[in-house]
Amino acid sequence: MSEPSNSSPVPGHVGRTAGRTQVRRASRRGPVSGASRRGAVSEASRRGAVSGASRRGPVSGASRRGAVSEGFWRGPVRLAAATLLAVATIGGCTDSDPAERGATARADARPAAAVTGPLCSALPSGTDPGNPASLTDEPGDVALRWIPVLTRFEAAVRAADLSAELRDPNGVTILAPTDDAFAKKFSEDNLDDLMIKQKNELRTLLRAHLVAGSYSLADLVAKGRVTTLDGTSVTITRADPMARIGDHTETVCADYQVAGGRIHLLNGVLGNLPTTADANGDPAH
Amino acid sequence: MRTRRPTVVVLSTLLAATLGTVTAPSTALGQPASAVQTAVAEPNQVSGLTVTQADGYATLAWTPIDGATDYQIERAPVDAGNVATGPAVIVGVWRPNRQINNEAPTFADAGFSPGDRFSWRVRARFDTTAQPYSTPVAGTTLAPWGNPDVPGESLRTQWETTKAAQYTSDVEEYAYTAEVDRLSERVRVVEIGRTVLNRPINMLVIGYPTPPPTAQAVAATSPLAINCNVHGNEPGDREACLVLARKLAFGKDAKTVDLLSHTTVLIVPTINGDGRAANTRGNSTGQDLNRDYSLIRQPETAAYVRMLRDYRPVAGYDGHEYGNSTAGDLPMLPPRHQNVAKQIFDESMDMIEGHMYVQGAKDGWWACPYGCQGGSGVGLSEETILRNTLGLKNTVNSLLELRSSGGQTRPDEGNSANNRRRKTYSAFWTFSQFLDYHRANLPAITQARSEAIEFQASNTGRLVFRGSRPIPLHPAPHPGEAGPRDDLPEPEMILDNAPCAYKLTEEQYNGARTDGPGEVGATVAERIAAHGWKVVKAADGYYVPLAQPERGLIPLLLDAQGAEEWVDGQRIYPTGTGRHNGPLSVSGFTCISGGTVNGPVTVRPGAVLIATGTTISGPVSAAGATGVFLADSTVRGPVQISGTTDAVSLVDNRISGPVALSANNTGSDVPLLAGNAVSGPLSCALNSPAPTNLGVPNQVNGPKAGQCAAL
Ligand SMILES: [Zn+2]
Repeated sequence: MSEPSNSSPVPGHVGRTAGRTQVRRASRRGPVSGASRRGAVSEASRRGAVSGASRRGPVSGASRRGAVSEGFWRGPVRLAAATLLAVATIGGCTDSDPAERGATARADARPAAAVTGPLCSALPSGTDPGNPASLTDEPGDVALRWIPVLTRFEAAVRAADLSAELRDPNGVTILAPTDDAFAKKFSEDNLDDLMIKQKNELRTLLRAHLVAGSYSLADLVAKGRVTTLDGTSVTITRADPMARIGDHTETVCADYQVAGGRIHLLNGVLGNLPTTADANGDPAH
Repeated sequence: MRTRRPTVVVLSTLLAATLGTVTAPSTALGQPASAVQTAVAEPNQVSGLTVTQADGYATLAWTPIDGATDYQIERAPVDAGNVATGPAVIVGVWRPNRQINNEAPTFADAGFSPGDRFSWRVRARFDTTAQPYSTPVAGTTLAPWGNPDVPGESLRTQWETTKAAQYTSDVEEYAYTAEVDRLSERVRVVEIGRTVLNRPINMLVIGYPTPPPTAQAVAATSPLAINCNVHGNEPGDREACLVLARKLAFGKDAKTVDLLSHTTVLIVPTINGDGRAANTRGNSTGQDLNRDYSLIRQPETAAYVRMLRDYRPVAGYDGHEYGNSTAGDLPMLPPRHQNVAKQIFDESMDMIEGHMYVQGAKDGWWACPYGCQGGSGVGLSEETILRNTLGLKNTVNSLLELRSSGGQTRPDEGNSANNRRRKTYSAFWTFSQFLDYHRANLPAITQARSEAIEFQASNTGRLVFRGSRPIPLHPAPHPGEAGPRDDLPEPEMILDNAPCAYKLTEEQYNGARTDGPGEVGATVAERIAAHGWKVVKAADGYYVPLAQPERGLIPLLLDAQGAEEWVDGQRIYPTGTGRHNGPLSVSGFTCISGGTVNGPVTVRPGAVLIATGTTISGPVSAAGATGVFLADSTVRGPVQISGTTDAVSLVDNRISGPVALSANNTGSDVPLLAGNAVSGPLSCALNSPAPTNLGVPNQVNGPKAGQCAAL
């Protein structure tokens, strides 16, 4: 992975030239423009600061607290609103019996939603918040927030404004690469650039992980080939007990049932973007 | 001389190879220390296993087996009757390079859900051949800190209530910290600034029984600061900060009360709120904020730097996560830039090696140098990195990394809840240790800081624009033989002959800039004010003297030779260096370096005098000057400075005679009177603002009066 700044790509040399180059690049890439920045803020303010917190998450209090804020903060008025909210929600935090709350409560109310694959045991299970049974009524974009290894994919969906496609009333299958998969694919610089500045490319990348219609892993294997929303045809083959998606990627925890869809976790990133991760590298901090 | 540096007992690879050849199958039986076990031990069976519970982790310790290559640690969930309720798994490997002493191996097991009950066993391996497991030891881990039935203590973060399935959102952070503030007398939450997208940047100010009321009052307590989340996609430290804030706010134990009775803790949970919400490394413009602390192009870093100016923490930690799977649990690194005063570098190293490595060996956490083992391109000298910026501001500090990937001694758990908890509680351990270090070593810290400020203000020695001090390979516990890269300065990054000051033009100083968000940047004047540097305005431009505490940082931003400077200021060299006999009348701009004046010095109205390393045999008087800077000098006679308009600074001088500062009206500049030895009375009156000593006391052989009574 390349270092974000000031470090020459040649190990062993750091000097003026590297620093200079970086400075120029940084300012070129710099914050888009005054106009677009203002646009971003006002759009944010329309959405409102408390929208994230008050949006409906999984039914319980715990889940509502879990909702990710999409609002941006504008000023004291909004802060005050947040503080009020705080009092309410924090009150909930003090419940002495967490098992009464949250995703857990519903786990008992429905048949267990079975997920399969080697990674599943590392993910919320049983009555833990975010367990598979607690997500079955959640839209895909909300369910993603409860699966800990999908933080990159989840944030990318928000960055690309693709939540609506994850709530397609006709159903959707979400092939979600894990955080490890993202780390193997993209350098941090590259991923930040996609998330912040190359949103069209990011959208195309994410659509390469969406299939119209809700398909279980068995359904996908039976089909043998699907077309993702970016228009790419992808082969699917059995790789017991999982499935291989394309040539290099396998599911690692499959068959999360969500409202109108399925989520299958992948150990690799699909789509056509070049690999930029450096297997030996971690960016400097 | 303090001797806190530990002795290195063992170095990893060589020893491991040697150990592999040893054959001593019955040593365990021969060790009386292991006799605590009732059963007859098998050959090479680990004995003496103890498990000690702490916040979010359990420290395992055992009696070492002669000839063992390494040890495996196994954990199984059990019920109250110690019957297994799930599979046992190997949760770690202890090997000699995890700690600086090997006669008492320890391993911090973490990642489990706090409050659950487990049984642990340890076994030795000879090469890869496993030996018998120890007798198991069961224990219930500590539940998340705070009694659920006690208001305040019962607060929990989103990360805690979701069992680490989710991180605490921005909204939840504000709500949580507001509740901590509301319910604890010890806590005040202040907003130190706003992000590009206008999220508040909050700081918890924590003291006992209440935090001092103003930034200035906090500064007087030699506070310490934790920056929890600069890279938005590295959230582990931030969760530790939020839990730690709760413990500090409500903990009734003697240790917490003692800590907070002696200093003030500053915690900034989220300097990069926009990046955290978006899960990006950079802020909303894509700027890596940890490449901006000197430049302060972004509002987030500018807020932090203003906070440093006002609250003046004497020590700091900066939290990160990293994905290098070949190094230790908790890489740390001091400010290495060669312009950082050696005293600050040395004390920071002492904090890391003398405290963290030693305590890590006791508690089972593997602290190690950042930049070792495959990290040759990291941990370098960029002054844009907070670690170095803080050092250049004379603050003892370290970077902290939490390893997010699997490591050589821990399993790869992906971004699971287990991994998140291990990271966060390792940060919790580090920050708690940081408080302990500060409590135990404050005299050493403040001495290092005082000496550093005096050194910087003396403006002696070469300037280095980029280049690091080497990090010695040992006594660091190390995964291999490769230490952090030396990163010595290239010749073109060195300036042997330091100027006296930089002169900026009106355009350079006040001109519009385009290097901030939306191509709008603060002026250099505003950024200099944020850093807190002294500037004097003369007829031909703005002078920034190097004879001030941030002398190491100033050239990096104002010299054309800098790697990432704001402007190419004009180097101004001393106008006098030799001997001057008779009265000296200063008008215009005068800089004396290493000079001798035999006679009185009079600074005329509107003039600027800068003198370093100079001996003045006679009185110094200034009335209505623009600026007066005296450092590392001797004055045989009284010093009288009144009516100065821009800046006053007297640092580390020996003055035989009374010193009087009166009616200096220096606007936003706070007159500095630090580290002087005065034979005679010191009096200050009617100065606006009142003078400060930046925590560097003056030795005054006579009464101290007026605004200087406490300096
Ligand atoms: Zn970082």
